[in-house]
Amino acid sequence: MTASELDAVYTRLCQAMTTLGEPAATLFLARFALLAITHIDDSSAVTRLIDDAAEAFEPTPGD
Amino acid sequence: MSQSVIAGPIPRETGPAATNPVSDIPIRASRTREFRPYPFRAAVHAAVIPPLRDGVEMSRHPVVVVGGGPVGLTTALGLARHDVPVVLIEADDGVCAGSRAICISRRSLEIFDRLGAAAGFLDIGLPWTGGRSFYRDTEVLHFRMPHDELQKHPPMVNLAQYHIEQILLEAAEGDAGRIDIRWQTRVTSIEARADGAMLTLSTPDGAYRMHADWVVAADGGRSFVRESLGLPLRGTSYQGRYVIVDILLDSDRPTERLAYFDPPCNPGSTVLVHKQPHGVWRIDYQLREDEDSEAAVQPGNVIPRVESLLDMMGERADWSPVWISLYRANALTLDRYRHGRVLFAGDAAHLMPIFGVRGANSGIDDADNLAWKLAYVVRGLAGEALLETYSDERVAAARENLEHGAKSTEFMAPPSFAFDLMRTAVLGLAARHPAVRALINPRQTSAITYTRSPLNTPDIVDAFDAGPVPGAVLPACPVTLPATPDDAGASRIGHVTDLLGMGFTALWFVDDAEPRTSFDAVLASMRARGVPFVEVPIRRRAPSSDGWFGAIDHTGRLFPMFGARPGTVYLVRPDGHVLARWQRPDVGSIQRALDRVLAPGNRWGALS
Repeated sequence: MTASELDAVYTRLCQAMTTLGEPAATLFLARFALLAITHIDDSSAVTRLIDDAAEAFEPTPGD
Repeated sequence: MSQSVIAGPIPRETGPAATNPVSDIPIRASRTREFRPYPFRAAVHAAVIPPLRDGVEMSRHPVVVVGGGPVGLTTALGLARHDVPVVLIEADDGVCAGSRAICISRRSLEIFDRLGAAAGFLDIGLPWTGGRSFYRDTEVLHFRMPHDELQKHPPMVNLAQYHIEQILLEAAEGDAGRIDIRWQTRVTSIEARADGAMLTLSTPDGAYRMHADWVVAADGGRSFVRESLGLPLRGTSYQGRYVIVDILLDSDRPTERLAYFDPPCNPGSTVLVHKQPHGVWRIDYQLREDEDSEAAVQPGNVIPRVESLLDMMGERADWSPVWISLYRANALTLDRYRHGRVLFAGDAAHLMPIFGVRGANSGIDDADNLAWKLAYVVRGLAGEALLETYSDERVAAARENLEHGAKSTEFMAPPSFAFDLMRTAVLGLAARHPAVRALINPRQTSAITYTRSPLNTPDIVDAFDAGPVPGAVLPACPVTLPATPDDAGASRIGHVTDLLGMGFTALWFVDDAEPRTSFDAVLASMRARGVPFVEVPIRRRAPSSDGWFGAIDHTGRLFPMFGARPGTVYLVRPDGHVLARWQRPDVGSIQRALDRVLAPGNRWGALS
């Protein structure tokens, strides 16, 4: 994936989440995570990604 | 840049502030800060009223440029270099004050180079090649803009807009025979006609009217001309508001773009820092949604924030505020830039978001595109339809710039909770996961390719495997140039862009000797029409005899970079964009490519 392709899918993700609205965001991201997990189809890779995502987790300002 | 000035450089006492009103972080011991002026004194120019008959100026002008900012001045310089006299109307009595554009791109430097004005920018401006982004207290991105030893100019230089205008003004004053500047003169009405326009002007010494064959509206974001003609800007106005503060600070920190996301000095905010010449620093920070604009620009609120930022940066020297203003991001453009005899350029035509520095730079590109086309039409060298291609090319460029600018803005000033949430994720992961860092890159302005321009002659399929396509600007590459007349015998190192003349240039790639055949028929036909055209041989090897002209590809990198072999020709426009290229053209191909630009009756629409 090129930098501009990454940029484009990032924007698409943000727009999809914006359209669904804030109350739906957590479930939307959970669904996306599940689809990504089954697409990656590699349990050790997914385990590592879960650990990376949880590492040094800091809440967003204002939370 | 569209911004409203709230607090000027008026000397005043600022009240002591005990805490930062937003972050509640204690600041340095409270103290008052005197505003100091910018380290620049603008000359004051008087209004002049020309000879009138019945209140109307006796001479009718081929071109009147409204607005003496960077775009108006660049347009005037370009027209003058193409031998068209210009009247420039400026409402103020000198170059601008205040915090405006500060970043000049490589492409703008190339344009100023062709106008003979680049030296001033390189003398005063601070060159930079990259920057750093921080999330809280961690550096998460160190980006570099494209730069290598082949380049003639740095990717960016920083200097204040008053310097930008002063350098261009001095160039214009050097061409006073062709550029007539009317200071303290304001357009109060414009009556568009089929063959030009009638302008009503007011000055402190009285009003008068003026006939113009063509009007270039470069009168800024709140363009009077645009509003008089009732033309709407379309696009997006973002909600994000930024406070822009210029300060005087003595610091030897290098010139680079610094971005602080959610910094300890100002949690929840985004702060940008840029160094300018002569000890001036630009600080921009985002306001939170619940902050009141008017209160936010009060020195009592601004000074503590700057103070805590400088503390966080480790800047210990004394500093003074110079200027405070408020900025709102806009991404707007007119649908067309030509409206009969009125042409729009710069902020009058489009408003770019501040992020990525496309405001002034895209306007300078407008001016460069417009100047030669309007000059050719005024001089009768091309049909009026050429001006439609100014609109085609620059509206397309504006849309591309707006798209990139919107991307920058979405990251810098997230337009919804989703962009905000995802940005927090990107920033939090970036330190350990380099793959996401590209999303933080500020996407600075770069030269635009006129891919769909009706002026381009499309490539013959598979003719080139490298090189600038029709519509692109030339990539930079050093070449050896022959001795100048006053430096006989010694060749010198220059750049491929130095080979461009004021008209059309055929860059002709050859082995070493002069080409066996030449395009005499094209030369003769262009000369007969009065169109400047030069053919410049670029030699793969040094010629054996002295007295050669053109250039030598001494690095051996130009030929492969252009996908060229002996016989290749690149035909380049006066603004440095490639018009057409061939591996082995005949005279007819070159002639047809030029006719496509110059001949009035072309059905351009069908060719795109």
